[in-house]
Amino acid sequence: MTTTAIQTPPTAFTTLALDNWKLAIAGGLGVSISACLAMPATSSFWVVAVMMALVAVTFVVNAFRRHYYGGLLVSPAIAVLFVMNIFPLLWSLGLSFFSYQSNQQAIRFVGLANYSKLLTDDLKAPELWANLTNTAMFTVLTVSVQMVIGFLLAVLFAKQFPLRRYLLILVLTPMMLSVVAVGVFFSYYYDPTFGVISQIIKAWTGEQFILFSSKAGAVAGIVFADAWMWSPFVMLLVLAGLVSVPTYLYEAAAIDRVGSWRRFWTITFPYIRGLLMLALLFRTIEAFKMADLIILLTKGGNDTMTISYHVIRIANEQNKTSEGAALSYLLLFVVIVLTNLYLYIANRRSQGN
Amino acid sequence: MTTQNKIALSISGVSKSYGRVRALENLSFDVAEGRFFVLFGPSSVGKTTTLRTIAGLVKPDSGRIEIGGRDFTSEPILGRGVSMVFQSFALYPHLTVFENLAYPLREEKLPSAEIKKRVEETAAMLKLSHRLERKPSTLSGGEQQRVALGRSLIRHPKILLLDEPLTNLDAKLRHDMRAELKRLHRQFGMTIVYATPDELEALSMGEEIAVMRDGTVVQRGTPDELYGQPKNTYVAGKIGSPHMNMVPATVTVDAKSFDTSLGMISPKVKRKTATAGEAAIIGIRPSDIRLAAKGEKSISSKVHLIEPLGDITIVSVAAGNEMLRMVLPESKATSIKVGDAAAIVINQDDIHIFRAASGQAMA
Repeated sequence: MTTTAIQTPPTAFTTLALDNWKLAIAGGLGVSISACLAMPATSSFWVVAVMMALVAVTFVVNAFRRHYYGGLLVSPAIAVLFVMNIFPLLWSLGLSFFSYQSNQQAIRFVGLANYSKLLTDDLKAPELWANLTNTAMFTVLTVSVQMVIGFLLAVLFAKQFPLRRYLLILVLTPMMLSVVAVGVFFSYYYDPTFGVISQIIKAWTGEQFILFSSKAGAVAGIVFADAWMWSPFVMLLVLAGLVSVPTYLYEAAAIDRVGSWRRFWTITFPYIRGLLMLALLFRTIEAFKMADLIILLTKGGNDTMTISYHVIRIANEQNKTSEGAALSYLLLFVVIVLTNLYLYIANRRSQGN
Repeated sequence: MTTQNKIALSISGVSKSYGRVRALENLSFDVAEGRFFVLFGPSSVGKTTTLRTIAGLVKPDSGRIEIGGRDFTSEPILGRGVSMVFQSFALYPHLTVFENLAYPLREEKLPSAEIKKRVEETAAMLKLSHRLERKPSTLSGGEQQRVALGRSLIRHPKILLLDEPLTNLDAKLRHDMRAELKRLHRQFGMTIVYATPDELEALSMGEEIAVMRDGTVVQRGTPDELYGQPKNTYVAGKIGSPHMNMVPATVTVDAKSFDTSLGMISPKVKRKTATAGEAAIIGIRPSDIRLAAKGEKSISSKVHLIEPLGDITIVSVAAGNEMLRMVLPESKATSIKVGDAAAIVINQDDIHIFRAASGQAMA
């Protein structure tokens, strides 16, 4: 028996078949657009969903008939990604052009009004600006503290010493804890009446100490907690770089009688520069989105509101869904600009060498 | 000349273990000043550990290392006046060739004009002048090798250690670099300790060779001495290419001749320590076997394998219970074919005789 695989010929565009995905896309798009225009949003939503399901089914049937098993195997992942990420992303982009509140039925197309309101309104624009500056401050502070501490820890753990492995695990644990747990830890530490820090300072000065009573104290508390949690992440990346330096280079440097300062800058640093930049990028993006620790520690009090927390407030607590969506997209825009700026600088540096 | 006899480097009774593995075992040798000294042996006999011990990268467990008459055993690397070329070249990948060469000078607080001058001199000497602004990864293997050499030479070391420096190069380049290294040695006159597993490198470059085995020196001497009078079967088997034929033999009753499957072998020089009936090994250089002339007393054999190498041909023949390799000039080998019968003659005056039990040469 011959085992030659017989290739099913592609279905013609006009044939009405379950594997004709091109026709399904075209038809689905047409039906969806007309449904959106003609029907109320509550019913057109379901029409669009059914059309998307139809397109998905044609893709699967097509893959099955033509033995694209690779595609079939990744399809569940793609489906989940689509339902959980891509669809909400596009949906929220659409929402940002409407006036809509999740606790009301009324929905109205307003174009760019949400954006212009956020950026120019006498009340909203200064608030947005204040939250942005707060976010920038937190980003600069937490990231720089994490980079310095993470780097120093990495230099320490690159050496061999007794109990190194166990200490390493211990140092890495904060990173693996839930942010909620970390927030609860630190809210206990910082508690004005029975917190450890307050108790120690009270024993010293005899006065009641409330860390969050000033903005500086509140910021310091949040930055410390965040740095405690994420410095190990920086350490892990830098450590990977330090370990990758071939030993023979250090030996050659020893034979060449090179001092430790020059040795670090000419041999070690080039190996960790890329990873340092990566850590910087990851931590900057994360810090920019910081909300969790602030919710847990200060609830935005004492002028510690960040832009992410602001979005949560507007969208979830004040039910201003479309305004929140517009704000999220402004935030996304800032992150994309920052990231590309970073990548541009990083690439230019590596090409310069 | 007295300077020739001055000891540049002396190692006595050095041992070093890594956990259970004994890398060096009571190693002793000394190197005269200005000598091209080769440490020869297959991999993992302790050549690299020896060099690293001399350089100061490894601290020996016991023993003593003297450089220029001063005890440096537990001294730091600084002040030894030793530089080393690593097998991997160990060039600094993020620095240009210029900076790689200048690296050892930077710590000496030399004025930058002086550094520039020295780097340019060294680069010119090693034909690297046009590569100074490049990064090591963009260079060919030979160029990387020359940068590594230049970096070691630039501060005029008293002792230069070379750890299998040619192993990572291709055959043609290896040949060129051998000549280059010899030239540099003549030019600078520094002491060189050169580790290699390649017998051709050892014989062609070494003024003196120490054959190593299991972390210690088995025999040392000039290339001629090692080739002519190997102390044991290990050295005999390692030195000389193609390798020496080893034929098992028994000492005859009169203790003058040796009984082998090739027939009786009687060397001209009597081995005084031979006792009747003792098991021995006869070592015959492939160049000491030739085809018999007409009517000459010969051993009959059958040609098994022919390896033409240009001007010479290695012919393997089966004779008695043995497989013997012999080297023939190309002109004499052309008529031979595999499977032919061949009458061969062994030059019995130049054979080597070892005790089968110990492998030591029989005096």
